[in-house]
Amino acid sequence: MTAHDPIDELAAAYVLGTLSAERRREVQARLPTDAALRDAVDGWEGRLLPLTALVEAVEPSPALWTRIENAIAPAPIRQGVSTQASPWQTWWSSLGFWRAVAATGFVAASVVALLPSTGLFAPAAPQYMVVLVAPNGTAPGWIVQTSGANTLRLVPLGTTNVPEQRSLQFWTKADDWNAPVSLGLVQPGQPLEVKLDQLPPLVPNQLFEITLEPYNGSPTGRPTGPILYIGRSVKLT
Amino acid sequence: MRLPDPDAFDHDAALAACARGDRAALRRLYEQEGRYLLGVALRIVRDRATAEDVLHDAFMNIWTRAATFDARRGAGRGWMYGIVRHRALDAVRAGARTVSADEDQMDALRADDPPAAPDMAEAFALRADLGRLDDCLARLDTPKRNCVLYAYLDGCTHSEIAERLGAPLGSVKAWIRRGLTSLRECLA
Repeated sequence: MTAHDPIDELAAAYVLGTLSAERRREVQARLPTDAALRDAVDGWEGRLLPLTALVEAVEPSPALWTRIENAIAPAPIRQGVSTQASPWQTWWSSLGFWRAVAATGFVAASVVALLPSTGLFAPAAPQYMVVLVAPNGTAPGWIVQTSGANTLRLVPLGTTNVPEQRSLQFWTKADDWNAPVSLGLVQPGQPLEVKLDQLPPLVPNQLFEITLEPYNGSPTGRPTGPILYIGRSVKLT
Repeated sequence: MRLPDPDAFDHDAALAACARGDRAALRRLYEQEGRYLLGVALRIVRDRATAEDVLHDAFMNIWTRAATFDARRGAGRGWMYGIVRHRALDAVRAGARTVSADEDQMDALRADDPPAAPDMAEAFALRADLGRLDDCLARLDTPKRNCVLYAYLDGCTHSEIAERLGAPLGSVKAWIRRGLTSLRECLA
C-alpha cells in the first residue's frame, strides 16, 4: 500500500474508533457493498484485536443473560407446526429490527409531509407506502408505493452500489407469515413493478426489505445476505 | 486480564450452531466471552448500564447475524469483539461526548505540521502476550502509542485525547496517523 491510501486510512480510523457518528454511519453504509473497504476494515480489526487483552474483565449482572435469553426465545409458531426457530425467524423479533422499524416510521412521516411538493405519488394517492432505509441509517433509499389493487412499485431515491456477481433481491413478510417471500431481483437505481397476484393483500406494518444476494438471487429462496434496506408499510388512507 | 487460549473454545463452531438456531451455543459464547466483552464495552461507554445495553444488543446482533459470519474473513472471536466495540462506539458517538464539528473546524485552521514527540509518560502498561503487536507498539514513541491506545481501548475522540495528553489536536491527529502507518508496516 502507499503511505496515503485513503481507503486504508478510513478503515483504520473506523476500527480505531476516532470517526464522528456521521462518518461512522457513512462507513457502515458502504461496508455491505464496498469490498475494498471491507477488506481494509477486516485487516485493521485483526491487527488491533490483541489490544482487547489489556482490558479488565467485568462480570455482567445476572439479569443480563436473562434479558438476552428472553429476546432470542422463539416466537410462538402458528398452526401448531413446531419447528426449531431459525435465526431468520428470531431476527424478526430482535431488538435491532424494531429499532430499524422505529427509524423507518419516523422517516415515513417526514416523507409523507414532503409528498405534495414532490408529486412523486400523483395523481392517485396510494393506499400504502413503505420507506426502505439502511439498517444503521435514517436516509431513505427506496420507496414502495401501491399502484392499483395488487401492484407494487419500488422506486429508487438514489443509486446502490452492487458488487460484481451479486444481485439485489426484494422481499416482503407480513407478521403472520412464517418466512419472507421474494418479490424478485432489483436493478440498482431502477424502479420495479411487482404484481401481488400470488400474495395476500397488503396489510399495515408488513415488512419489506432489499438484501444483497448471490448473482441472480438467493439460492435458498430465503434471504441469505446482508440487509441493505428495510421498512414497514404505513397505511396512508 | 487474560489472553484466551484459542484452542480452548471453538468460537467458529459455536457461531455455526447459533446460525442453526441453537440457543445453547449463544449461551456458551456468552459464558466464554461475556465478562471480557463487557469490560471492552465499559471502557468505551464508561457507564455500567449503557455497557450492559451494548452487550445485550451485541448478542442480539451475534445471534441474528451468525449465519452471515464468514470464517474466511477472520476468526469468530474477533468478529464478536468487533460487534461489541462498534456497538459501544456507536453509542458514545451518538451521545454527548463527541465534538466532531469543532474538531473539523479546528483542524482546518491548523497547518499539518505536528511537533516532534515530546517527553510524555506511559499511559499504558504493555504486555508481552500481545504477540507481535506488543513488539510493534514498543517501537512507537510514547505519544503515538498513548494516542492509539486511548482511542482503541477508551473510545476517545481526537479532542479527548488532546485533552488527556495536553497536546494540540493537530499533533494528536498526526501521531495517530503515523502510529497506525507504523503499526501496519511493522505487522505486515
